[in-house]
Amino acid sequence: MMKKRALMLLLAVVFMFATACSNQSQSDNESKDKGSSEKVKLNMWVFGSTGYEKLAEEYMKNNPNVEIKIQSTQFDDHHNALFTALSAGSGAPDIAMIEVNNIERYREAQDRFYNLYDFGAKDIKDKYLDWKWRIGESADGSFLFGLPTDIGPTAMFYRADVFEAAGLPTDPAEVAKLIPDWNAYAEVAATIKEKTGKPIADNVELVYNALRDQAPVQYFNEKEELLIEKEPYIKQAYDYTVSLIQKGYLGSNGLWTPEWGNAMEKGSYATLLAPAWMQGVVKGNAPNSAGKWLITNMPGGAGNWGGSYLTIPKESKHPQEAYDFIQWLVAPEQQLKSFKDMGLFPSAPSVYEAPEFKDYKDEYFGGVNTAQVFAEAAQKVKTVYMGKNYGLVQGEIIKALTNVQKKKADPEKEWEEAIKRIKRQLERQ
Amino acid sequence: MVSHNHTNATVRPKGLSDKKKTALAGYLFISPFFLLFAIFGAFPMLFSFYLAFQKWNGFGEMTFVGVKNFSLIFTDPLFWKSIYNTIVIGLLGTGPQLIAALILAVALNSAMVKFKSVFRVAYFVPNVTSIVAVAIVFTVLFSEQEAGLVNATLGLFGISPVSWQTSEWGAKIAIATMIFWRWVGYNSIIFLAGLQSIPKDLYEAAEIDGAKKWQQFLFITVPMLKPIIVFVVFTATIGSLQIFAEPLIFGSGFREESMTIVLYLWREAFSNNAFGTASATAVSLFLLIIVFTTINFFASNRLDKSGK
Repeated sequence: MMKKRALMLLLAVVFMFATACSNQSQSDNESKDKGSSEKVKLNMWVFGSTGYEKLAEEYMKNNPNVEIKIQSTQFDDHHNALFTALSAGSGAPDIAMIEVNNIERYREAQDRFYNLYDFGAKDIKDKYLDWKWRIGESADGSFLFGLPTDIGPTAMFYRADVFEAAGLPTDPAEVAKLIPDWNAYAEVAATIKEKTGKPIADNVELVYNALRDQAPVQYFNEKEELLIEKEPYIKQAYDYTVSLIQKGYLGSNGLWTPEWGNAMEKGSYATLLAPAWMQGVVKGNAPNSAGKWLITNMPGGAGNWGGSYLTIPKESKHPQEAYDFIQWLVAPEQQLKSFKDMGLFPSAPSVYEAPEFKDYKDEYFGGVNTAQVFAEAAQKVKTVYMGKNYGLVQGEIIKALTNVQKKKADPEKEWEEAIKRIKRQLERQ
Repeated sequence: MVSHNHTNATVRPKGLSDKKKTALAGYLFISPFFLLFAIFGAFPMLFSFYLAFQKWNGFGEMTFVGVKNFSLIFTDPLFWKSIYNTIVIGLLGTGPQLIAALILAVALNSAMVKFKSVFRVAYFVPNVTSIVAVAIVFTVLFSEQEAGLVNATLGLFGISPVSWQTSEWGAKIAIATMIFWRWVGYNSIIFLAGLQSIPKDLYEAAEIDGAKKWQQFLFITVPMLKPIIVFVVFTATIGSLQIFAEPLIFGSGFREESMTIVLYLWREAFSNNAFGTASATAVSLFLLIIVFTTINFFASNRLDKSGK
């Protein structure tokens, strides 16, 4: 009896497998039959809130032969999943959004992507900010990984109430005049510290990043050689940040921690050097501080933090259709829509001339035309090569600065230790 | 029944005896596990042994580099620091935890406690809570600011605020506390199961002979629990060598105070794209676990003998 039952079960299993397999092949045949005459299916992976679903609907209405499926995941999961899929050589989508820092990881993996120059991307190059376009290219400029979506030009957010308490002007134009450069920033830091006891910024990282982004070269050159010992800029940024730390002008809340968010609402510090997309973060963390946060130009120039690209992995079977879609999606008209709907800051400067953009006003930020402030910044950003090990170097320098602040460590020794750690890790690649 | 067999007869593999057929059926039934294990367990393990001798960035060609990956990590002070950290955090997290778990289990097993099943569930809840959520909540509790809950509590006793995330001992204690909280309930449930298998008459006999509660605990409970204790110590040792998620989320950005071996491995692979050194770290960890398990094994064997 047992034996019979075992056999029955076995047969049941075999039968199930058999039917499953035959179903599979049937549907395969179906899709093949339809494929030529009907819809091209495009899978697209994005992260965060892009609002691209809505734009895709619009595109599909005008292009009934294309069906776009958008899958949106959280930032880290998105990039890890994409890395795994590309590394394994299967499972990647037809279109993948890649954030600017993450694109550096794929510098050596050109063969996993289509060169968008092969689809005529040269023709639309002039529509976009040059520095943004350059990051999407290979070091020699012959290969284009992705088309630019949004950017993160930086400006100075400041608390008008803290400035007022310190006896300083609060009007954006006057504040910009008051703090044209980093020396003035340090002087204002001294005044604010003296009058209110508050730090000028809540965090070492953002001050250092702001200085770093204004350097003509950063960590690596196009040959992936480490520059921070040869070129003075990064060390200068480090030294300046150290001097503010040692004078007690900087707070010590870690970026993205709950305390850091609370401090935005409480106004326990004076300035936040941050990109355009931080506007949403500030509004979220400080819902009751409308009118207290204002925005003006960053001292000493501008920088960029964040923003993305749309790429077409080599696995895609429909690269032409995918390219047609993304070219449409990042065209200035659509970038204006993304800006209005989701606040994605456009990388096509022609959008900055649009009336919706010129007359933009944000009541939360005291009725300032924030769009114009960031647009100005976007045009001042320097073209810079980041390099595939950018994140590694950044992490070690921030570690050194944190040690100087939290452990009162010797800054010179920490700098040397950081360089040692960086070199040790670079050796392995 | 008969008709079924008859219609299916054509599907049957021909020329197999009934005995072989039963055997085949048996193998087919257990095959899902072995197939899945081969794909998701055995293959990655063997592949990482292979990768340990290659240089690979996740894309492109692998190049054979011999033992260079090992010499790179063995000359890195951070690697040794990560081993030290792992052992210290492991000891801090499991030592007091096992003692507390045993005491909790005995308390739960004693006749005095009411609502036993409520306690049992309550003990177990931390273990099934998402580890990421736990780490985030603890990050808030162990905030470096004066107003952080732990620092504020310490302040009541006149202790000045501790930099939980960036100081050598602060980070270790905070992570060990997370491990303690998460596993103490799990281990006490296992101890409890062991306690319930100890025959009551042993205690009754001891009581008649005039043994006090603590004597009963020391001379009946502990010796009878020895197999359970050995099991718990084994799993806790292996588990603490693999501490990863807590320091990843708690420590800000791969700081050396909270760097454990698995975190080191993870940084190599998924942050630096150096899969060769990451695999070499994995192989070293594998050897280390073997060493620790062997020590455990001999220690518990000796314990067993001295017990008899």
